[in-house]
Amino acid sequence: MTTVTIDRVGRSFGSVQAVREVSLEIRDGEFFTLLGPSGCGKTTLLRMIAGFCELDAGSIAFGGRRIDNLPAHRRNTGMVFQNYAIFPNLTVGGNVAYGLHARNVPAAAIADRVANALKLVHLDGYDTRWPHQLSGGQLQRVAIARALVIEPEVLLLDEPLSNLDAKLRVEMRGEIRQLQQSLGITAIYVTHDQEEALAISDRIAVMRGGALEQVDRPDAIYRESATPFVAEFMGVTNLFSGTITRRDGARAVIQAGTTEFYVEGSVSGGPGRQAGDDTIVFCIRPEAIRVIGPGETVPAGWATVDAQVSRVEFLGALTRIETQLADGKLLRVALLDQPLATLASGQPLTLAYDPRRVTGFAAA
Amino acid sequence: MNIAMPRNAFPLVVTGIAFAFLGLFLVYPLFRIFGASFLDASGTTLTLHNYAKVVSSAFYRNSVVNSLTISALATVATTLITAPFAFALARLPIAGKTALTSLTVLPLVLPSFVSAYALVLLFGHAGAVTHALESVGIGIGSIYGTPGIVLVYVLTLYPYVLLPTVAGLKALDVSVEEASRNLGSSRWRSFWTVTFPIVIPSILSGALLVLIETLENFGVPFVLAEDKPIMAVEAFKLFVGETDTNPASAGVLGVLLVCMTTFAVVIQRRYLGRRRFATGAKRSPPLIAVGPGWRVLASIYCWAIVLISLVPFFAVIVISFMEYRGPVLHPHFSLDNYAELFRRSIRPLENTLLLSTLAAFGAAALGVPIGYVITRYRSRLSAVLDVVATMPFAVAGTILAIGLVISYNSGWLVLTGGWLILVLAYVVRKLPYTVRASSAILHQIDPSLEEASINLGVSPLATFARLMIPLMLGGIVGGMVLTWVAVASELSATVVLYSGQWQTLTVVMFQALEGSGAGLAAATAALLIFFTVIPVALVYRLLRRYEMSLL
Repeated sequence: MTTVTIDRVGRSFGSVQAVREVSLEIRDGEFFTLLGPSGCGKTTLLRMIAGFCELDAGSIAFGGRRIDNLPAHRRNTGMVFQNYAIFPNLTVGGNVAYGLHARNVPAAAIADRVANALKLVHLDGYDTRWPHQLSGGQLQRVAIARALVIEPEVLLLDEPLSNLDAKLRVEMRGEIRQLQQSLGITAIYVTHDQEEALAISDRIAVMRGGALEQVDRPDAIYRESATPFVAEFMGVTNLFSGTITRRDGARAVIQAGTTEFYVEGSVSGGPGRQAGDDTIVFCIRPEAIRVIGPGETVPAGWATVDAQVSRVEFLGALTRIETQLADGKLLRVALLDQPLATLASGQPLTLAYDPRRVTGFAAA
Repeated sequence: MNIAMPRNAFPLVVTGIAFAFLGLFLVYPLFRIFGASFLDASGTTLTLHNYAKVVSSAFYRNSVVNSLTISALATVATTLITAPFAFALARLPIAGKTALTSLTVLPLVLPSFVSAYALVLLFGHAGAVTHALESVGIGIGSIYGTPGIVLVYVLTLYPYVLLPTVAGLKALDVSVEEASRNLGSSRWRSFWTVTFPIVIPSILSGALLVLIETLENFGVPFVLAEDKPIMAVEAFKLFVGETDTNPASAGVLGVLLVCMTTFAVVIQRRYLGRRRFATGAKRSPPLIAVGPGWRVLASIYCWAIVLISLVPFFAVIVISFMEYRGPVLHPHFSLDNYAELFRRSIRPLENTLLLSTLAAFGAAALGVPIGYVITRYRSRLSAVLDVVATMPFAVAGTILAIGLVISYNSGWLVLTGGWLILVLAYVVRKLPYTVRASSAILHQIDPSLEEASINLGVSPLATFARLMIPLMLGGIVGGMVLTWVAVASELSATVVLYSGQWQTLTVVMFQALEGSGAGLAAATAALLIFFTVIPVALVYRLLRRYEMSLL
């Protein structure tokens, strides 16, 4: 029912262009995440949808109905704030009922809907409690109940988990996702945490400097990053630049320093890319690289590269290894936990990778 | 992230009302004073003659020089005496610190001219102490003129330096001191190279407030100056004495005085902006361990300042229960003075209570929304509003009152002669109190609360009324009490604006100063002290909780 159409929206604060020419089509019932480093414009964009920040240009519509000219209190969005913004002078029940009072819902219906909303967030029976008696996680649930009870067209979440501790954060993000799916509500979620975004989103828009960098499904954003910025922002990666020296069937052979890499499949070409311009930037994820032990064979179609261990970091489920290529370049490798007691600094390694998992970009 | 709220009608309406009110009752009267200073006696021809007249008169030249000299002396003396006090209070183990801190609030709310008057009652020509000493053959110097005025200013205005300096010292992140020690500086050197420079803005900010307050003050020089001309007093005398249509000479002094205080306010505001630059601290710096000798010395120093500053008020209360026979005070304790006061008329007391209450509500009704808009809806317009709402600080009460009289004693709006003009003058003068009280509380309320309310469908105006007013209530009440107290002891504008039946307690005192009714004046002063101390004592905890700046 409610799609959100953001059409060439822009906003600047003084000389800073906070949001530039952003266009997005968010589908009905979609969990859509705006992801990016601080200052990328994601919060500004969310506040524009909520009505707390004016547009310099463009328009925003809910289900074809333009809303950017409506005052904030008539937009029927439910917003969950980073610091919860629970009214300290009202009880939990009073907080949840607040938006219903504003909508002149009859008292009997308010009681029912508040009880239902609290049940939804597992806070049944908390309606007479005061906010100062609740923990951070409980306050967060009240905030979500308060936003959902008004049956908003769009649920807006502004880094709602950043004030919770790590374990609770993981738990709550699962609950938020489940709640959103069971209600089928359109949700727009702002975060700077790429893991959080990957875990809960239907689609992600990565933003940088006020503009969209890439909009896609989480797996595509991670595996087929459109730009080096996205590739680096979405997690640890190895980013190199080199020159295409020759083609070997479907593969391109790239010379990066003294090392040759193989790339298979399409190389994302920037608009400025021309024939004969053979410089490219490419990346390979650490977990796509495998250590070939003595006696093991390289999988068919994989390429190899020789390196020397420079640092080993044991992280429990994962072990991160920093290796050095012959020309001194750093190549990061990540392995699932396995007995690697033999790995020591200075040890030579043979590393293998699938050329289809190397992503190339047009040189900037 | 600090993003301004989008445009909506609410801040525009508030800004519009505020500009209309301040335009009518602050800017226009000042403009009329300005105009008066450039017009001839009949008020028709433009001329610079008035300025020439004032400048060529040694008497008025002296009034400018005297005002500036006294203010400068008082500011320097207050700062030098108070800065060590502030440091001791913030960092040394002073005996009875909590009591001491509470007592330092009193001089802020007690009327300073009562302190001046007490000085006259004790050490004046016919003062009780003067008499006693003369009878045993000891003469004391005159307390009239510069020394007496400066003394009263120091004793009544020291909290203006004390409070910001203590706040600055407490906000100091102690790790910068530790870093200095760690890098090899002695404690003494660390103080002078690190601690002191960091609190200089706080000290100067307070010192400038003292400068402004002393330039504007009317009551203290009126009581103590005798023949020495002082600008604020002479402007009043000129205005009352001038028979021409146009109060030209009073206008000239008014313009000069407003220019001086405005200059000081502008500099003060610059420093206020930097005042928060020491607040990196999560906790106050620890007390410095000193030997018992230092501890005793510091305690005596602090307590001496506070107690000496309260002696005049205490003396007034005692004297109010004693009997004057002619000019001589007799140690018979009775309620005769009070009986006499109430026998004459209870009206002044009623007037003071009524006018203060009206002014407190008026200042809150106007000041709280202004404070809200200035704090929450940052824009160029609200920045202008901020400046205009601070302006009353820079305008001496006498001058504002003269401007109001010139503006509204004829024409389409006649206000002179009633109670309304008094209330309007009070609301204008004390507006900064409620504006700053309201923005002080707002700084402690997260802006996302309002956004949450608006997001849930409540309009900005309804959000302000239903959510923010209850959340701000404690602070609003605190600000109103401060306004109430300040209005109750207001003299400078009242003395110009009161008429007939609208005498207040301060006017009764003012009139008694010239007559012989010292006992009556003392009883009135004691009543005034009662009505200022009690309300503040009642809300003292509220004021502290909201960290409300009393300045």
